[in-house]
Amino acid sequence: MVHNAVAGDRKSDRPARTALAALCAVAVVTLAACTNTAAGSSGSGSGPLTVADLAPFTGPDADLGPTYLASCFGATRAINAAGGVLGHTLNCKSVDTRGDPADAVPATRQMFASTSNLALVIGVTSDEAASVVPIINANKTVVFSMTGQSEFDSTHFDYFYRLVAPDLDESYAMVAIAQQKHYSKIALAFGNDIGSQTFVRPAIGAIKKAGMTLVDNETLDLQATTFRTEAAKIVAAHPDVILTEALGATAASFLSEVKQLNGGTMIPIIGTSATIAPAWYSSVSGAVGASTLASNYVADNLVVQSTGPAYRTFSQNLLAEKGKVGNTGNFNTYLTAPGAVHLYDGINLAALAMTEAKSTDPTVFRPLIEKIGNGVPGATVVTSFAQGVADLKAGKTIRYVGPGGPTNFDSFHDSTGLFEVDTYDSTGQVKVVGQLTPQELRALAG
Amino acid sequence: MSLLLASLGFGLVTAAVLAVASVGFTMQFAVTDVLNLAYSAVMIICAYVAYAVSRAGISVWFGVAVAAVAGALLSVVLNRGVYTPFQRRGTSPIAIVIVSLGLTLILEFGLQAYVGGNNVSYRVNQGPSLHLGGLQLTVVQLVIIALSVVAMLSVHALLAFTKLGKAMRATAADRSLARTCGIRTDRVVTTTWMISGALCGVGGSVFALDAGSFGATSTDLFLVLILAAVFLGGPGQSYGAMLGALVIGIGTEVSAAYVTPAYKDVVAFVLLLIMLAARPTGLLGSRT
Repeated sequence: MVHNAVAGDRKSDRPARTALAALCAVAVVTLAACTNTAAGSSGSGSGPLTVADLAPFTGPDADLGPTYLASCFGATRAINAAGGVLGHTLNCKSVDTRGDPADAVPATRQMFASTSNLALVIGVTSDEAASVVPIINANKTVVFSMTGQSEFDSTHFDYFYRLVAPDLDESYAMVAIAQQKHYSKIALAFGNDIGSQTFVRPAIGAIKKAGMTLVDNETLDLQATTFRTEAAKIVAAHPDVILTEALGATAASFLSEVKQLNGGTMIPIIGTSATIAPAWYSSVSGAVGASTLASNYVADNLVVQSTGPAYRTFSQNLLAEKGKVGNTGNFNTYLTAPGAVHLYDGINLAALAMTEAKSTDPTVFRPLIEKIGNGVPGATVVTSFAQGVADLKAGKTIRYVGPGGPTNFDSFHDSTGLFEVDTYDSTGQVKVVGQLTPQELRALAG
Repeated sequence: MSLLLASLGFGLVTAAVLAVASVGFTMQFAVTDVLNLAYSAVMIICAYVAYAVSRAGISVWFGVAVAAVAGALLSVVLNRGVYTPFQRRGTSPIAIVIVSLGLTLILEFGLQAYVGGNNVSYRVNQGPSLHLGGLQLTVVQLVIIALSVVAMLSVHALLAFTKLGKAMRATAADRSLARTCGIRTDRVVTTTWMISGALCGVGGSVFALDAGSFGATSTDLFLVLILAAVFLGGPGQSYGAMLGALVIGIGTEVSAAYVTPAYKDVVAFVLLLIMLAARPTGLLGSRT
């Protein structure tokens, strides 16, 4: 055989090819690290105010940014319909962090440099919070963050607010659900991103405290495309349940491989609240089947309202913005997604604080966020921005209670509510199937 | 032991997918002189073409064939519309790599803008799992392996037994000498773009079948594995790429069984570095 190669004999191009080989590696690394900033509209200094959604829009956690953007569109729609904030309309701007601190920091600096009328920042997941919150705080801009990271449980940043559960509590909630369902052998399968790995250590502690057995703990590389070996190890460990958070295509590929290697039978899974998102449902149900997912999946979630005036205003405004964040799957899931609900509340709280302070200067309106969120004795409860503005004009003191329920900021500006257990039905609608008590969570705390 | 056998089986599937893509990539590089990093973008576009066929209720296997045609056409268009004009202006090979990198971003993010950020799956029944000792493979995975074997045999037959194959090898070895000998090298190059594009299309759709779920940027890391397989086997060496794919595929999956799976793709590059340190021209590269 004289021709076992296409180019085996060419010699003259070798130096160029060697250089190409080296360049090739550099180029691919560059491609992998390439930053993408998706800027939306921004107004002029004296005109509209901008709410920046600083979150992953590309990369493995790309589902998160659009969720928060949907929330922003819904909230600003309601606020603008009520005349805006002190005559300013609000608009939304997306700033892509790619879920990577290395990309998030320059993206944040660029956001401040290019947005003169920035009123508020939302988003900021665990992927980037530790890197960008100090920058936002130094710029004296209020941020409503989605991070659950423990360091924010006891570190004070003047301008940092959080309406979602700490990851510690979410880890305990997942284990508490496993306890309620009488599972004893637990496997963990979390993505290798910061936001997912933060659940692992407290979950392991809670599993031990609950007297359960951790049979396997797999870290899933979110950049990988197949997880057969990881799935085989989990199946071989015979767990009763898998606790998981892996966003992007990972969850769909991994769970379909678990099902396949388990003889076509799905192992029950308990997800974090981040799995209550239309994109997650869409990809996972497509890979394992909607009915399989419906009968084998539950997730922890903070209790959110599904009826009442606050929910009606929220749902009307959110659903009116359907289609503005692209093809994300079942848009109705946003009505329950923690990112959508709690950031909607955060934007309303900030807008009401600006209105009461008669200033859009964060150094002036910031203290009123706690006052309006936690309420003071005698405060009138309002469930929407329009109602709040009307009551403020009438000289009343207000407390805002939105679709995420009452807020109770502590000294670190963290507010956590009660947990419920959610699942999807076979059409992708989110259903509440249980509750978790604070006692159940406390019993698992380290 | 059973985990080792299972991971060997999984490695074979990964190697099968990787082999189809790597052979197309290395053939393209050898004959056309273009290190086309946009190959991965064409792969994922073709995966979506097969997805569109699948969504229309037609068999995904027909979708694989359509993806091959789409890959061939798109590759020829990229060559005619982008690479050839740059080459005619005397753009250096290194600059063309940068062009291909830019093209990757344009194609991938253009695709993402069109299809959205959601991940999708083919409508395909994986079939029953077949157990052979510790090996555990589905019917679809066995078909992927079979497809890869057929593709490899076809490439071998093309290169070894056809006039076109000989012309491709001659063009790859020395284009000006081949032209002097009467070979219509422009036509050979275009045909190579077409054939390697078809392999790219098949590679993209079987990649998506294997992954179970995919999005517009899913092939980014896979390109790294393709490059590892190609350079492990020796750049421009079709049989080297097949061998490289086998080593990388099995190496990554077996390492995932015994080392932290999060680092399994790092193992591919450790293998590549060891290989290049011992034999800089790759497994089947010429030493002289």
